[in-house]
Amino acid sequence: MDLYIQVLVSGLLLGGVYALISVGLNLIFGVVRIINFAHGEMVMIAMYLTFWLHHFSKLDPYVSAIVIMPVMFIFGIVFQRIVVQPILATSATMKIFATVGVSLLLQNLALIAWKGDFRTVQTSYSMSSLEVFDIIVSIPRLVAFSAALLSIIVLYYFLKYTYVGKALRAIVEDHAVARLMGVNVEKHYILAFGMGTMFTALGGVLLMPFSSVYPTVGVTFTLLAFVVVVLGGLGSMSGTFFAGLFIGVVESIGGTFVSPALKEAIYFAIFVLVLLVRPQGLFGKGKGSEEVGLK
Amino acid sequence: MKPNLRYWLGAPAFLILLLIPWFFQSTFVLHMHTLIFFYIALTAVWNIPAFGGKLSLGHAAFFGIGAYTATILYVKYGITPWLGLLAALVVSMLGGLVMTLPLIRLRGPFFTLASIAFAEVLRMIAIDWRSLTNGSVGINIPFKPAWINMTFQGGKPFYYMSLILAVGIVWLTYRLKNSALGFHLRAAASDEEAAQALGINTSRAHFIALMWSSGLTGAIGVFYVFYIYVLEPHTIFSLDLFSLQPALNGIIGGMGTISGPVIGAILMTPLGEFLRFYLGTIQQGLNYVVYGLVLIATVKFIPGGIVSLLTPIIKRTPGRKKIPLSGQVEAR
Amino acid sequence: MKKAAVTLVLCGALAIVFSAAGFAETLQIGALYPISGSLALLGEESLRGAEIARLERNKAGGIAGREIVFEKADGSTVAAARSEAERLIEQKKVPIIIGSYSSSRCMAASEVAARKEIPYFELGAIANAITGRGYKTMWRTNPTAQDFSKSQVAFITDWLASQMGKQPSEMKVSIAHEDSDYGTSVAESFSTLAKESGIQVVSVEPYSANATDLSSVIFRLRKAEPDIVIAVSYAQDAILMARQAYELKLKAPLMGTGGGHSLQSFADALGAQADGVLNVDFTQYAVNTSFTPGLEEFLALYKATFQENPRSGHSLANYMGASVVFDILGKTGGSMNPEDLRKAAMSLDIPAGTTATGWGVKFDANGQNVRAVPLVTQWRDGKLVTVWPQDAAVMDPILKE
Repeated sequence: MDLYIQVLVSGLLLGGVYALISVGLNLIFGVVRIINFAHGEMVMIAMYLTFWLHHFSKLDPYVSAIVIMPVMFIFGIVFQRIVVQPILATSATMKIFATVGVSLLLQNLALIAWKGDFRTVQTSYSMSSLEVFDIIVSIPRLVAFSAALLSIIVLYYFLKYTYVGKALRAIVEDHAVARLMGVNVEKHYILAFGMGTMFTALGGVLLMPFSSVYPTVGVTFTLLAFVVVVLGGLGSMSGTFFAGLFIGVVESIGGTFVSPALKEAIYFAIFVLVLLVRPQGLFGKGKGSEEVGLK
Repeated sequence: MKPNLRYWLGAPAFLILLLIPWFFQSTFVLHMHTLIFFYIALTAVWNIPAFGGKLSLGHAAFFGIGAYTATILYVKYGITPWLGLLAALVVSMLGGLVMTLPLIRLRGPFFTLASIAFAEVLRMIAIDWRSLTNGSVGINIPFKPAWINMTFQGGKPFYYMSLILAVGIVWLTYRLKNSALGFHLRAAASDEEAAQALGINTSRAHFIALMWSSGLTGAIGVFYVFYIYVLEPHTIFSLDLFSLQPALNGIIGGMGTISGPVIGAILMTPLGEFLRFYLGTIQQGLNYVVYGLVLIATVKFIPGGIVSLLTPIIKRTPGRKKIPLSGQVEAR
Repeated sequence: MKKAAVTLVLCGALAIVFSAAGFAETLQIGALYPISGSLALLGEESLRGAEIARLERNKAGGIAGREIVFEKADGSTVAAARSEAERLIEQKKVPIIIGSYSSSRCMAASEVAARKEIPYFELGAIANAITGRGYKTMWRTNPTAQDFSKSQVAFITDWLASQMGKQPSEMKVSIAHEDSDYGTSVAESFSTLAKESGIQVVSVEPYSANATDLSSVIFRLRKAEPDIVIAVSYAQDAILMARQAYELKLKAPLMGTGGGHSLQSFADALGAQADGVLNVDFTQYAVNTSFTPGLEEFLALYKATFQENPRSGHSLANYMGASVVFDILGKTGGSMNPEDLRKAAMSLDIPAGTTATGWGVKFDANGQNVRAVPLVTQWRDGKLVTVWPQDAAVMDPILKE
């Protein structure tokens, strides 16, 4: 019995991390409708920044988030202005390939600048854990989980009650109509990109205490984040959170009771299934079917 | 059919290509050409569903299914790869069926994402199903040069085989595009609802296109594996090499056109190779930096693909007045 | 100021001209390693080792008065490795190729070389199949996956079992391996050899090396209750697994199998928890140097050339391997005729304990060096020290509770 609860807890903690990486993508993919293949590379850059800040100025990873988030916000804006904005008019497929280009570029610039070494941050809490009724809870993962929850609450209220938030939601709903209603769509694309990158970066920072960074670390995160976002429903922050948890738990249960080698295969299969049965996402409400193509 | 620019350019080019192996002793030259021909064929079949606006990034799955089918038949049961080729065609078409039936209704980026997931799942299965695939270690093909084994000592046979494959497949896509199916697909690409309103069964058109595409991709996979002689899942189901790369060629050249894939493969294959030759050893990773920049620049400056730059020239040529097909319209 | 700069540049140029002038001719060797992509780190580390051997040999007069020059190639993927082999042989006309760290890349590249009867020397990839294909122009200087497993089984039966107060047949072992060719082939070899010597393999857990979480692997290992876990990992998964094993209170000790467990970054990431982790790998740097003559010279030259310490033993293994290749070429007087090379290679008979890795050299009919033996090492106070077998050890192994 203990094992089952332990597996569930580990899965939930893992899912929190996934949600945190994906919430930024939901903003970007939901609003700008671009399949950003360089999403994982944003995580990678944030992880490297965390590493170097810790390496040179002994800055605690959690403290470094205060510096890294604004920096990555600007990075996102620059990325949008230089790469995405000029190709907004092109087809969805062309956009994919521009971001594939960015992904290759960033991976290999990282390789040139920082070599292929695997770098970790060793902190006092890297391997610390709590024990509650024989259930082990890793502290850095718990922190990431809480940060995911907090980010999502913040984003939820931001989207619900501020003008920018409402505009963003309107664009997710239908960007043409939003434009007719007087929303400056381009400006909000930039904001969405900046904010999306910022929250993605937070994910990268919080991963650092228990993961390693290397130039190709982002590859796994890109697909994963898309799975989580689509499962959760475009534009739904709470959806992303629960979808992240769901994937985490599926991975943990599948890995433990089926095979660790097949755990990704299991959640990819679920992804395709959900896309077909509930195209608005597991937790998304309202329409989504039309967008996806199912009616 | 009136003679047009294509024939005037195509026929001599084909003749020259036929003669190349007799002028260049270096198998490296042949190897580069063979690679380009493979990618022309691969890009052209990837392009078939793209006529209808379906962008698949899951073609590595069919490539892998085909390669594994023929290799397993050959190594475990001693069945000649030529028969294996047919089996591969059928099995990868079945694979296409499994992917297409559920995914066909998905649109745009959702179809693309789901196709990636499909290929990734297959790769993991290939790694895990050791009794069949020998897992990550891959299957070792014994080197027994003979026609019947599709194994040759020199580079010439594969040069010609891949050349014929490329020409044949491009011709086939040309026929497909100008058939009723082709028109249905293009109608679906420009406006799915409008096409349906006109009574076109767009799902059926997408479906047939994907069947052609998946089956032929599997067949090309067989040639490839007997050419490079390594069968292991990370390479054969590689997202980069066999899903992204053909798509990339198609998009750079001009998606949904006939000459786009040819141009894309002719430019991008050597570009990748030469960048690695000349920059890869100067500074690790530098070749990919340049390649990435080229990609970004292409999307930014020639979003319709290279074909869109050439279209005005072709249009002006006499004898080519009917239906100017620009890449841009279809690349939606 | 400008003049000074020009003079300096001129002097530099002259120095290069003079240093090169010692050689009338060059001898080209293809060096094929994955130096970008996911294997960049250890691929480049391997190349560095070969490079040191080249510099050293050139300083000593080259081969038959000819300067050794590497024609480098990046086998970042299997397909790239095949293309690069073709290019090295046809465009660059290299008469022999060395490489290639990764087994799958070696398989692809050496196949091209074999068809053209170009000798191929593998200095670092371990998959068993590489030297089992009957190629007449393929040699491998480093140990195979099976040799790794042999060392592990021998260590368990000779030392570990008695430390745990058990008979070898009572020993229960789990294997957790990353699921590429490297992990899979070691796991398979180990399972077979373990069965032969009566050790029980209670579970085998494959996983993907770029997983972000390995808790499920740990849970399965906990359930299997082994006495020791054989881990076959790349870099980041080795760290992740060790960290999660500690967090989730896996009782069995870990024994790595080269790769990630030998990297300094493993010890850095785990801090005190790395202490006591066992590992079987190519020869590492904290080893009884009377067993590995030439190792200190290698280290000194490495530091002078690259301004840092080696990141793993891969460079040393490739240094040793490249030196053997140069010895063979020296024997043939620089002749690259495959027949001469074969004769020279087969006549080599170097006893163990006389090279920088401590490995001897004797090729079998398949071209495999049968005197290359992986050693058992252990992390002790942040250093990877050799603990077994005794003639190479600098410390005795300990069993950490």
